[in-house]
Amino acid sequence: MRGVRWAVAALVLTAAPWIVGATVADQQRYILHVMIFTALFAALALSYDLVVGHVGSLSLAHPALFGIGAYTAALLATEARWPFALAFAAAPVTAGVVAFAIGVPMFRLTEHSFAMGTLGFAVVTQIVATNWVDFTRGPLCVTGIPKPGLGAWRIATLPAFYWLALATLALVALLYHGLTTFRLGRAFHAVRDDETLAASAAIHPLKYRMLAFAIGGALAGGIGALYVSYVGVLCPGDLGLGLSVNLLVMVFLGGAGSLRGVVLGAAAFTALPEALRMAPTWRMVIYGVLLLVIVIRWPEGIGGLLRRRAAAG
Amino acid sequence: MLDFLEQIVHGLTLGSLYAMVAAGLALMFGVVRLINFAHGEFYMLGGYAFWYAYRELGLPYPVAGLAATSLLGMFGWAYERTVIRTILARTWHVQLIATLATSITLTNGAILVFGTQPKEVPTLLSSTILEWAGLRIAAQRLLVLAAAVAVFAGLEWFVTRTKLGKAMRAMSQNREACAVVGIDVQQIALATFVISAGLAAGAAALVSPLFNIFPDVGALLTLKAFAAVIVGGFGYVKGAIAASFLIGLTESLTAGYVSYAYKDAIAFIVMVLVLLVRPQGLFGRRIGI
Repeated sequence: MRGVRWAVAALVLTAAPWIVGATVADQQRYILHVMIFTALFAALALSYDLVVGHVGSLSLAHPALFGIGAYTAALLATEARWPFALAFAAAPVTAGVVAFAIGVPMFRLTEHSFAMGTLGFAVVTQIVATNWVDFTRGPLCVTGIPKPGLGAWRIATLPAFYWLALATLALVALLYHGLTTFRLGRAFHAVRDDETLAASAAIHPLKYRMLAFAIGGALAGGIGALYVSYVGVLCPGDLGLGLSVNLLVMVFLGGAGSLRGVVLGAAAFTALPEALRMAPTWRMVIYGVLLLVIVIRWPEGIGGLLRRRAAAG
Repeated sequence: MLDFLEQIVHGLTLGSLYAMVAAGLALMFGVVRLINFAHGEFYMLGGYAFWYAYRELGLPYPVAGLAATSLLGMFGWAYERTVIRTILARTWHVQLIATLATSITLTNGAILVFGTQPKEVPTLLSSTILEWAGLRIAAQRLLVLAAAVAVFAGLEWFVTRTKLGKAMRAMSQNREACAVVGIDVQQIALATFVISAGLAAGAAALVSPLFNIFPDVGALLTLKAFAAVIVGGFGYVKGAIAASFLIGLTESLTAGYVSYAYKDAIAFIVMVLVLLVRPQGLFGRRIGI
């Protein structure tokens, strides 16, 4: 039964460009655009949840790692004229290495201090992206970032990009599932739930925290590279605190530590604001209040509610 | 040389601002073990309250400053009663996200109400430039320094001499024992929030004539004040104050001699360097205010 449902969902998602084209032909481009964003943000939210939901380290550096990947790919593809595939491959590597390097001082901090320290890193990254004009072009933004491709073959059409984004989401979801389910996943959860107990069972907390942080960071960097190749422009504002807030809302509304919850949260929070066409400031006020209410009333999010219903029924 | 002295005075002004915000943050952490992510927003709201009282209502400067401080004291009271009380017993994840959410709501609410255009609040003192042997300093800066010294002396007297202050110190050492001997733990937590919010608003009333007020001034300020709290040794108020001056001076000298654009990154770099050398902060890990 479950297998059938998954197969139907996969089929519908894959066939989405045609379904959208057949039903709402005049809005096909816009709807596909929202779906591409949803897939990319769901993948990013999953990579974030690896750190927040599974090892319990509340990092706020994720937008910075996303941005570092994005800048790596963008600058290599435009200024250095690398072929896209190489520039793209460099993005997760750079972001992963940076995540590891900042993890060394950051994991000396615990709990709130870790959150604040990583936020500091995010702020500094944005300051550098804005002010190092010779390198990042600062507020002038990196423009003319090429579309993804391999050799002469390019992904230029909207449906093709949708499938690329969907494949990315599927890959990240698979990796997320693999990393959090088996032996490694149990070690992650042990570290999250009781650090002292985990350490006494020879599960080194720092090692697993660092692993999740570096993998999450590398994935964020890769997704950042895809994001800029889709949008074509990269500005320092793209890695602001707003992105952190979006990710927190997605993960905590969906339910930290739940694959299904996080994907649902990401879908709700990418599609809803688009549908409602809210002004960004109002959107942030509403997000703030929503986040406050969710975290106080339903700290387990949609994922938790679904699990409880499944257990009751 | 004169230039250097001017930078030092600027650094001390900045340090006073950071110290008043960081002291509140450290006080809260000491007493209720909670990091208030929305602390910079107390400063921001205090700044707007001061602007409204001074520029719009035309109250005299000291009255407007005190009005803003007491108004934010009330805001701190309301914040404790509504948000903080519901999350005090929860995990630090919940506390952090709830206070972060408050900060986002307040910042964007301020954009909706006041707009993004910075508010300027020049006073008589900020436009009076004192000259002494070629050294030019705005009188307001001297007021900030004098007021900061007075505030910290007052705070020291308060926590060591008064009954409420002693209860706060006791609570920072052992909450359960306090409850056992009949100290009203919730009242003390409430008082801590009122005092911390008042400190941030007082800082706003003092430095707003020098720096403008704008809606997202709080985020970076919270971060720098928190860096000071970490550098000073977690939850140790005097350490946080000393570290604030260290960060203020470093920042001002960086802005003057190295790079103005990167001055906001300094607090964080100081924090990372201190953490690498002394993970427990410069002044040890003595929990207690």
